[in-house]
Amino acid sequence: MGHDRYDVIIVGAGPAGSTAAKICAESNLSVALIEKGEYPGSKNMFGGSVFRAALEEIIPDFLEKAPIERKVIREVLFFMEADSVVEIGFTSYKFAQPPYNTFTVIRSRFDRWLAGMAEEAGAHLMNSTLVEDLIYKKEGPFSGRKVAGVILEDGRKIYSDLVILAEGAMASLARKAGLRKKYSADLFTLYVKELIALPEEVINARFNLEKGEGMNIGMVGYPTAGAIGKGGIWVNKDTISIIVGAYLNQLTKNGLNPYQLLSRLKEHPAIKPLIQGGKTVQYMSKIIPKGGYNNIPELYDDGIIITGDGGMLVSGRHGTDAAMLSGKYAAETAIQAKTSGDFSKKTLSAYEGKINNSFFFNNLKVNRRAAGYYKKYPDADFLISKILNEITYEFFKEGMQTQEEKLQMMLEKLKQIQPLTKSAKDFYNAALNWRFY
Amino acid sequence: MGAFGKNKENPLQYVRIKPAEKSHIKIKDRNTCLDNCENKPCTYYCPARVYSWSGEKQAIMVDYSRCMECGACPWGCPYNNIYWEFPPGGYGVHYEI
Repeated sequence: MGHDRYDVIIVGAGPAGSTAAKICAESNLSVALIEKGEYPGSKNMFGGSVFRAALEEIIPDFLEKAPIERKVIREVLFFMEADSVVEIGFTSYKFAQPPYNTFTVIRSRFDRWLAGMAEEAGAHLMNSTLVEDLIYKKEGPFSGRKVAGVILEDGRKIYSDLVILAEGAMASLARKAGLRKKYSADLFTLYVKELIALPEEVINARFNLEKGEGMNIGMVGYPTAGAIGKGGIWVNKDTISIIVGAYLNQLTKNGLNPYQLLSRLKEHPAIKPLIQGGKTVQYMSKIIPKGGYNNIPELYDDGIIITGDGGMLVSGRHGTDAAMLSGKYAAETAIQAKTSGDFSKKTLSAYEGKINNSFFFNNLKVNRRAAGYYKKYPDADFLISKILNEITYEFFKEGMQTQEEKLQMMLEKLKQIQPLTKSAKDFYNAALNWRFY
Repeated sequence: MGAFGKNKENPLQYVRIKPAEKSHIKIKDRNTCLDNCENKPCTYYCPARVYSWSGEKQAIMVDYSRCMECGACPWGCPYNNIYWEFPPGGYGVHYEI
């Protein structure tokens, strides 16, 4: 059964924690992987899909093992108004062939599987266990205190050389350790989701997919009723994930209820036929840390490393893979530290070096400016959606005008919505921001 | 309670929650809700409708047994007036799929 001492204690068996646990255990470090849920993934939610590159780095043969719903071959973007949609889409049949690209998954299955991989490697998984606080040890008269383990809710203490926090967006222990700033509503988006069950063949027919093929629809404009956020559909094997969410400060300011937004989206004429006759089998919700580069906490200190959502390491739709990679970097740093027998802040700074070199960290860094634009013009995406729909409507609407009159009409419409220069700015900044989608 | 505004359906019927004996959520100061908070946004941004305003008691009512642990409430409250922690291990929300 459980011991009271490990090389490494990992708090949270999500994608970051289980990845760290697996890699540490493979290098023969003794690992406790502590999960508050009944089993890993039982409290987790995302859109969503996982991406090949990061998964493959951590589990090279994941394709044979992971509980994958479908292989995504089509990405579609809906710019939505109440009664029209401008669609931009891409289908690649290359993505239907090995090595594939992205995969829809269901977190309760995926996280449980990944934690199982960590267990197989030798990590000790403790489910239904909440960590209450950290244990500190005074190192010497001239040095500071070092994290030396965790205190469980029943008061039991478990000691370790290193604690890796993979506790998720709330980052409660990171706050107790004094490693993160105070949070506010503008640093988070809040999403709600329903899983809607439909027979596999019905899904294939409705979404024009062959068996095993999946797709994702991203939606802007109508779904969030003016707040910055998105709607989305992910096609799973025999369920459809439908989500909507927005920045929490905008939901509160605009008086929006996320469940109402979801119900409203399900009634949209472009969405309703896709889910018709389906049976809702799960409702769920979660915040996503979107504080960006400026709100990343101190990611390490003596005896402690922060990974995943708890480290605000989410860039665009790279959350799960960023979490897994940060777990990998944390594990590599732990293995190095174990070899040198030194778990001081200085040794653990190698973790920061690895994070700084990652694609998601560099995306966060570059994206600082666009994030600022959205703060200043929170309705930018909404206006873009409106413009695209109105112009496209005029373009396709048949009448008796000359080509010249039609173009003039489209230009007038454009000017009615807002000054042309502002529209140009919105599109430019959207392009900047959507690079990181 | 249960109905979500205009929508008659209660989505919590699709969520398994095992509530602990004690609440993991507290309103820090009831008077702040009464005196300072005009819009009471917790009553609408919470996706599980944990919070409701009682005209009779002149206070926010907290039904922690509805909580899906999304994490929004402590940050969404404009007066930082909600204390929230995770329920004990093994309790609270449990997504089956």
